[in-house]
Amino acid sequence: MALLTVKNLSVGYHTRKGFLKSVQGVSFSLDQGKSLGLVGESGCGKTTIGMALMGLLPDNASVTDGMILFEDQDLLKMSKKEIRQVRWKKVAMIFQAAMNALNPVHRVSEQISEAILAHDADISEKAAMKQVESLFDLVGIPQDRMRDYPHHYSGGMKQRAIIAMALACHPSLIIADEPTTALDVIVQDQILSAIKDFQNKLKISVIFISHDIAVVADVCDNIGIMFAGQLVEYGRIEEVFDAPMHPYTKSLLASYLTLDKDVVQLNSYIGETFDLINSTTGCRFCERCSVAEATCSLVAPEWVEISPTHKALCYQCK
Amino acid sequence: MEIRKFVFKRLIEIIVIFFVILTVLFLLFRLAPGDPVTRMVDPTMTPEDAAHLIAQLGLDQPIWLQYIYYLKNFFTGNFGISFHYGVAVFSIILNRLPNTILLFSTSILLSAFVGIFFGKIASWHKGKKTDTWMTLGALFCHTLFLPWLALIMIWIFGFNIGWFPLNGMISPEIWLDSSSGFWLKFLDVAHHMVLPLATLFLIHFGSYLLLMRSSMLDTLKEDYILTARAKGLEEKVIRNRHAAPNAALPVVTSVGISLAFSLSGGALTETVFSWPGIGRELVFAVSNSDYPLALASFLLIATVVLISNLAVDVLYAYLDPRIKY
Repeated sequence: MALLTVKNLSVGYHTRKGFLKSVQGVSFSLDQGKSLGLVGESGCGKTTIGMALMGLLPDNASVTDGMILFEDQDLLKMSKKEIRQVRWKKVAMIFQAAMNALNPVHRVSEQISEAILAHDADISEKAAMKQVESLFDLVGIPQDRMRDYPHHYSGGMKQRAIIAMALACHPSLIIADEPTTALDVIVQDQILSAIKDFQNKLKISVIFISHDIAVVADVCDNIGIMFAGQLVEYGRIEEVFDAPMHPYTKSLLASYLTLDKDVVQLNSYIGETFDLINSTTGCRFCERCSVAEATCSLVAPEWVEISPTHKALCYQCK
Repeated sequence: MEIRKFVFKRLIEIIVIFFVILTVLFLLFRLAPGDPVTRMVDPTMTPEDAAHLIAQLGLDQPIWLQYIYYLKNFFTGNFGISFHYGVAVFSIILNRLPNTILLFSTSILLSAFVGIFFGKIASWHKGKKTDTWMTLGALFCHTLFLPWLALIMIWIFGFNIGWFPLNGMISPEIWLDSSSGFWLKFLDVAHHMVLPLATLFLIHFGSYLLLMRSSMLDTLKEDYILTARAKGLEEKVIRNRHAAPNAALPVVTSVGISLAFSLSGGALTETVFSWPGIGRELVFAVSNSDYPLALASFLLIATVVLISNLAVDVLYAYLDPRIKY
């Protein structure tokens, strides 16, 4: 039984220029203990999906279609109070390593125990603090740094503290939105292994949102490639990496540096980003596609199954 | 440890700035047109008597010598004798200062608390009716002309309805009556204070409200507010524990500076309400060329401004753990 099933999710933003269809018809499912990577360029809608899962979409956003089934309950149909109880208790989030995810005027330990206290009416403050101590052990921050303020922490420590915070209520799903983006590669590696570690130990499902396909390859079981608000390829990590089907996935993988290949010139994309307000019916990638045919720009592409676990949204894959 | 060092360094700076201000003020008053004697003596006085009076006040000496004398007296704690009242400046100020502090600190703290509270609420309902009416109300009150508002208040509540006294700070019959106890006197002052307090409050709370509102709106865009929401905290907790303490920081600065400037800025209010404070005395001293009194009043204001700036810095370090000196 899938822990999370997203069906045909469509989200848009009301903007001054018109209704911006940020996410269109995205479907995927995630089993308990598994991890899914969502990869795509900026503005492709991956963060919007994350926010929709948390029920944290901004005021100008509206979900136009679809459902998000989490433990057989539709998150989109929940009242504000119900979704507040799901947040962090069931679905937690690791934010970007930006300086600001922790409140500067409260101690780190207080910010973590606050989450525990908010979801467990019976626990005492002392017991919550005890839990925070064990969380700090788990993510590898010395306990004597618990009562520090966020600005005393380095970027890596902050991110560890945020991971500790995400684990505080023993959620069954964690959404990690670009968790390593602002960190240098060494710290990035430490954070990724920390995430992999707790995922294996605690059997938590993770949705990993990133623009870095290499990061996702490292930690995820499944991968979904997103382009212009649509999922364009979905499959197990090794399937997608070994035999990418969608032209966009191919070009993404081609522009990814490896040590075992000599790359003289990196691929760079030609063309503008897709217009999400006045979108056309045809394939969204066809303007940038090297194998596009005349019909591609006229007819919407359909899913092509390559294997039971691997599919791509492209006519040319047949 | 570090904060002590910082305060010490700032105190030294404050002392230097203070003497610069003293010198400039001293010269400015001497350079200003008009002299104290022509205002004091009656026109029938002989020139000899006038010259004698000038010599008595020490105004026949060269300016630099007057300055040295002033400094010498200053260090012995002697601020001179008022030309007009003929009593020590120090005792006049000591007599007037508590009245000013009472009225203005009450009004500023009251308007800051109310402003912060409603600014928080307005920002929370941004774009809705609550916000619109609060912002409009705050803007309207803030743009009122203080002396006009003061007169209108006196006219409506003092003259027409007669709830409050027209002016002054005390009713002599109560204070001269030896049988009246503390509470009666307290209530009497409070009764006199209502109108000036309400006037100052109406003028000032709007700026705190608007400041808090915009500061809150900035804070609410921060990532840690999103974190707090994601944690499943109640909206009330997010507003009061995560947004408001951060948003209140600029308001604290503003309150500190207002407290300092209220000593001088109160001249208009004190004059209209005949409130026996330092602001009214200051206007009187300047227009009568009462050098010692004016100089001492200005120096007092300068000191308060300098000290409250330091106090705000220290308070900031307490409120915002990121700030280290």
